[in-house]
Amino acid sequence: MIRAALRGMAARRLRLALTALAIALGVTLIAGTYVFTDTINTAFDRIFSTSYERTDAVVTPRQDEDLTEDQTPSLDGRLLDAVRRARGIADAEGGIFSPGGLVLDKHGKRLGHGGAPTFIASARSTRRFTAYTYAAGRAPHSVDEVALDKSSADNAGFHVGDSVLIQGVTPKRRYRLVGLTRLAGVDSFGGAVVANFVLGEAQRVAGKVGRYDEIDAAARRGVAPEEAARSLRGALPRDVTVRTGSEQAADLSSQIRKNLGFLRTALLAFAGISLFVGAFIIFNTFSITVAQRTREFALLRTLGAYRGQVMRSVLAEGLVLGVLGAAAGLGLGIALASGLRALFKAFGIDLPSTGTVIVGRTVIVSLLVGTIVTVLSSLLPAVRATRVAPIVALREGVVLPPGRWARWATPIAVLVTVLGLGLLAGGLFGGASSSTALSLTGGGAAALFLGVALLSPRLVPPLASAVGRPIERMAGITGRLARENAVRQPGRTAATAAALMVGVALVAFASIFAASAKTTIRQAVENGSRAQAIVQNTDGFSSFTPQAGTAVARVDGVKRVSVIHFTGGRVLGSKVGIVGVDRELPVLYRVQSGAAALGQLGPRAVAVSKGFADDHDTKVGSVLRVTTPLKTTVALRVSGIVQDDGHLVGDLNVSTDTANSDFGASQAGVVLVGFDPAADPKAVRHRIDRLLATRYPQVEALSNNEFIDQQVNQINQLLFLIYALLALAVIVSLFGIVNTLVLSITERTRELGMLRAVGTSRRQVRRMIRYEAVITALIGGVLGVVLGIVLAFLVSRVIDDFHLSVNVPSIVALLVLSGFAGVGAAVLPARRAARLDVLEALAYE
Amino acid sequence: MTAIVSAAEVTRRYGEGEAAVDALRGVSVDLPAGGFTAIMGPSGSGKSTLMHILAGLDRPTSGTVVVDGVELGTLDDKRLTDLRRDKVGFVFQAFNLLPVLNAEENVLLPLRIAGRTPDREWIERLIATIGIGDRLTHRPAELSGGQQQRVAIARALASRPAVVFADEPTGNLDSASSEEVLALLRRSVDEFGQTVVMVTHDPDAAAFADRVLDMEDGRIVSDRRAQAA
Repeated sequence: MIRAALRGMAARRLRLALTALAIALGVTLIAGTYVFTDTINTAFDRIFSTSYERTDAVVTPRQDEDLTEDQTPSLDGRLLDAVRRARGIADAEGGIFSPGGLVLDKHGKRLGHGGAPTFIASARSTRRFTAYTYAAGRAPHSVDEVALDKSSADNAGFHVGDSVLIQGVTPKRRYRLVGLTRLAGVDSFGGAVVANFVLGEAQRVAGKVGRYDEIDAAARRGVAPEEAARSLRGALPRDVTVRTGSEQAADLSSQIRKNLGFLRTALLAFAGISLFVGAFIIFNTFSITVAQRTREFALLRTLGAYRGQVMRSVLAEGLVLGVLGAAAGLGLGIALASGLRALFKAFGIDLPSTGTVIVGRTVIVSLLVGTIVTVLSSLLPAVRATRVAPIVALREGVVLPPGRWARWATPIAVLVTVLGLGLLAGGLFGGASSSTALSLTGGGAAALFLGVALLSPRLVPPLASAVGRPIERMAGITGRLARENAVRQPGRTAATAAALMVGVALVAFASIFAASAKTTIRQAVENGSRAQAIVQNTDGFSSFTPQAGTAVARVDGVKRVSVIHFTGGRVLGSKVGIVGVDRELPVLYRVQSGAAALGQLGPRAVAVSKGFADDHDTKVGSVLRVTTPLKTTVALRVSGIVQDDGHLVGDLNVSTDTANSDFGASQAGVVLVGFDPAADPKAVRHRIDRLLATRYPQVEALSNNEFIDQQVNQINQLLFLIYALLALAVIVSLFGIVNTLVLSITERTRELGMLRAVGTSRRQVRRMIRYEAVITALIGGVLGVVLGIVLAFLVSRVIDDFHLSVNVPSIVALLVLSGFAGVGAAVLPARRAARLDVLEALAYE
Repeated sequence: MTAIVSAAEVTRRYGEGEAAVDALRGVSVDLPAGGFTAIMGPSGSGKSTLMHILAGLDRPTSGTVVVDGVELGTLDDKRLTDLRRDKVGFVFQAFNLLPVLNAEENVLLPLRIAGRTPDREWIERLIATIGIGDRLTHRPAELSGGQQQRVAIARALASRPAVVFADEPTGNLDSASSEEVLALLRRSVDEFGQTVVMVTHDPDAAAFADRVLDMEDGRIVSDRRAQAA
C-alpha cells in the first residue's frame, strides 16, 4: 500500500510540488533566521574571545547594561595604580572604548549606517592587551594620528595617509589616518565605526579625561585568572566590576545574544505566520485529493485494507511531502541567510559574518517543524479518507459523507473565535509580563484566524454574491458560472480564501497601525511643541554633547533653549524611562497639567507622569527609591504630577543636574529651541544650521514639520520591512489558490468538456476560471481587511492616547491588490482549462 | 454440496415511510461451493443489491447472510475487512485496477495489503492462465479493456478466496473480449474449483454459468440450470 501511495504521489508531481513549496517557504524563513543569527553570534563570540584571550582580569564600572544605552559611565584614572599594585598582578593598562563619536566621510557626511554607533577607542601600548591587527599601516603614536577599522575606511574610500575629520564631545578636528584595523580577523565590528587614538587623545575626544572605560590586567606567572580577579576585588572600591578575561568576553557575547534574540524572535514570528498559512494550504490540498480519490480508497477497502491502513497511507504522503518540503526549505533558508543580510544592509543595518554557521539545532528544528506541520494538516483529511465505504467502488459520482462532528462545525467555530478574542484581550489588557502577554496575544490572534477560517464556509455564499454580482453584471454567464463554482463547495473556497485572509489581515493591521502612529506623532508634536526648532543627533536617536545646546542658546535670535536628557531606572519592580529637564521646558513644550512642578525641580525631586501615578498610586510627597544605571539607589521625592498627552515627558522627570550626577546621564537627547519673536526665523535657523555644521556636525536642527517628517520616514522604513516579511505569507497563500484551482479543474474536466461542446469559447473558459480566482481572492481580502481593522482597534486600546486612523485609500488598495493577486494566480490554471481537448475531456473518467 | 454462501429471508429497504423503496423483498438462496452462478434481471430487479449484500458490502434490513460459515450480520468493520481479505474476491465492471501500479503489482495488491507472502507457484499459474505474460509490467492504461478485466480476475483469485463476486464483468467489453473473460471465469471454476457468483443482464454471459437465478422486483422468480449457449 505504501508503494501505491508513493507511486500515486509521483504521478501527481506538479500538484505536490506546489504544496511542498508552501511548506518549504515557511521553513526557509525559520532556517534562514537561525543561520543568520547563529552566524552573527558566532562572529561576535570570536571577536570578543579573541580580544580578551590574553587578558586575565578586566575592571569595568558597575552598571546596569539594560539601562545605560549610549551613556556609559567610566572609571577614575587613579584606579590604574591600585590595579597594578594589587597582589598577583603583573601588568595593567587602561583603555577607552566609548560610543558617541562622529567620523565624517569625504563628502562631510557622517560615516557609518543608520543603526551602528561610532566608537572612540584608545590604542593599547601593551601588546597582550590589544586585539587589533593592522591590515595596513600601524597604530597611532601621536595625538594627531588615528586608525580606522578597515571596513569603514574602505566604505569611505580612505587610505593610509588621508586626513579624516573626527568629532567627539570636542569639536571636530583633522587627524592623519595611519592604520586600518582588523579585529579577530574581521574587517568590521558589527558595522560600527571604530576610531583608534593614542590614549590621551581618546580620553579627550570621548570626554573622559583622566578616566578609563575599562582596565585590563595580566596576572603574574603561576597566578590563575580567577585568583587575579579575586585579588582585584579586594583591592578596589565597590563601584567597579571585576571579571576574568573569559568572563568578560562571555558577558559581552551574552549581551549581543540578548539583543539579537529579539530580532530572531521577530523573524521567527513571521516564519510562523507563513507556516500557519502553509498549514491551510496543505489541509485544503489533501482534502481535495482525498475527495478525488474516493474510488481508489474504496477499491483498497474492498481488497481488504483496514481503515487504519488507508489513513496511514494518506499520512505517509503527508510525511513524505513534509520531509521533502522541509528539506527544500532548509536549503533555501541557508541561501536566504545571505539574502537577509543584504535586506538589513539595505535598511541601514550592517551585520558581520565570518562564514555561514549551520548548527545541528537549525537542521533538526527546520525538518521537524516542516514535517510536523504538514502531517498535522493532513490528519483530518486522512481521517476522512477512512470513511469511504467499500461499496463506493461500485458506484459513480460519490460525495464523502459528512463526518460525525460536522453538525458541531459552526458551534466549534464560534467557540474558537470567542476563545481567540478572549486570549487577545487577556494578552493586551491583562497586564501580565511582556513575554506572557506577547504569547497570549499571538495565540489569541492565531485562534481568531482559525475561528474565522472555520466560520468562513458559512460566509462564502453571501460574500461570493457580494463580490460576484458586479463581475456577473460585467461578464454575463461566465461571471455567473464562476460565482456558482466558488459557492459549490464553500468549504474548499473558504479554506483557500482563509489562507490569503491571514496575510491580508496582517498587512492591513501593519498599515493601519503605522498610519495611526504617524497621525499620533503629528498631533503630539503640533499640539505640544512651542519651539521653533528641534535639535537632535543626525541619526535620530543617539545622545550628543549638551555643549551643542549651550552653543545654540548663544546664537543671535535664539531666545531660549531647553536641553533634555534621556536615561532610565528601575522603580517599584519595573523599568521606567527617566527624563532630565530644565526650567525652560514648560515654556517650550505644552503639557496638559503639572507645568509648574516640571519647571521647578530641585535636587532629588521628581515629577511623575499621570499614568505612572495612577498605576502605582503615587501622590505628591511620596518617596520613590529608584535604582540607577550605575546600580546605585537614590531616593526621590515626588513634587508634582504631570499629564502630557504627547509623551515627551517621561514616567519620572528630574532636573538635568540630578540626571547627570545621580544617573550618569551627561549627554543630551534632544534640545528644544525657542526663537525671539522679533527675529527673522529663516535667518535664525540659517545661523543655527551653520553653527552646527561647523562645530557639531553630528547634530542637526529641524523645524517641527521636518521633525515629524523624519519620524514618519522612520515608521515607513519599518513598515516596508514588515511588508517584505509578510510578503512570504501572502505568496504562500497565492500558491494555495493556484493549487486549489488546478485540482478543481481536474475534477471538473468532464464538465468543462461539456461546456466547450455546447459552444463556450476557450477565452470564455479562461475568463471563468479567472473570475473564480478573483472571487476567492476577494473573499480572502475582505475577511482579511475586516480582521486587520479589528486587530488594530484592539491593540490601539492598549497604548495611551493613540489615535486610530483607518486610511481608507490604502485599505481599498489592499482589496484591489487582492483581486489582482487572484488574477495572477489564475493564469496557469486558466490556461490548462482552456487547453482541454473537448472529446478527451468528455471521455475523462 | 455444501452451501458456501447462503441467504435467508433477506430484505433491503431504502428510505422510510411513503418514500421507502424495497430493493429486496425476502430473498433466500443457497449457493454451493465450486459452482458458477449467474444472477440475472432487468435494471431495478435488485440483482446488484443482492450481490452487494451477499458480499458483505451492504447490510440487509432484515434476514441473515452466511459466507463460508461466518454470519455477516454480527461482524464489525474490522472483521468485515478480514472477510474481504480471506474469503471474498471482487471483479467490478470498471475501475478494478490502480492506475499507478503495473499488472503484476495489481495482481499481488490484496496479498500485500494483508501482509501475506504470495504463493509464487500459484501466482505464476494464474498469470499463465490469464494469458498476458508479456504485459506484466504494463500499467492499466497500456492494456486493453479485456486485458484489464483478466488482470482483475487474476487479482481476485490470487488469495484463493471462498467465493468470487463479479458485477457485470463484461459490461464494458466487446464480444471477443467478453468471451475471453467469461472463459477465464469458467476455467477458474473447472480447473481451480473456485466458486463464482456473477451479476449480469446479458443472457449470453449467463450461459457460461451452471445455474441462473432470475430476479424481478426484489425477488428470485426462477432458479434454473443454464441453457447451453
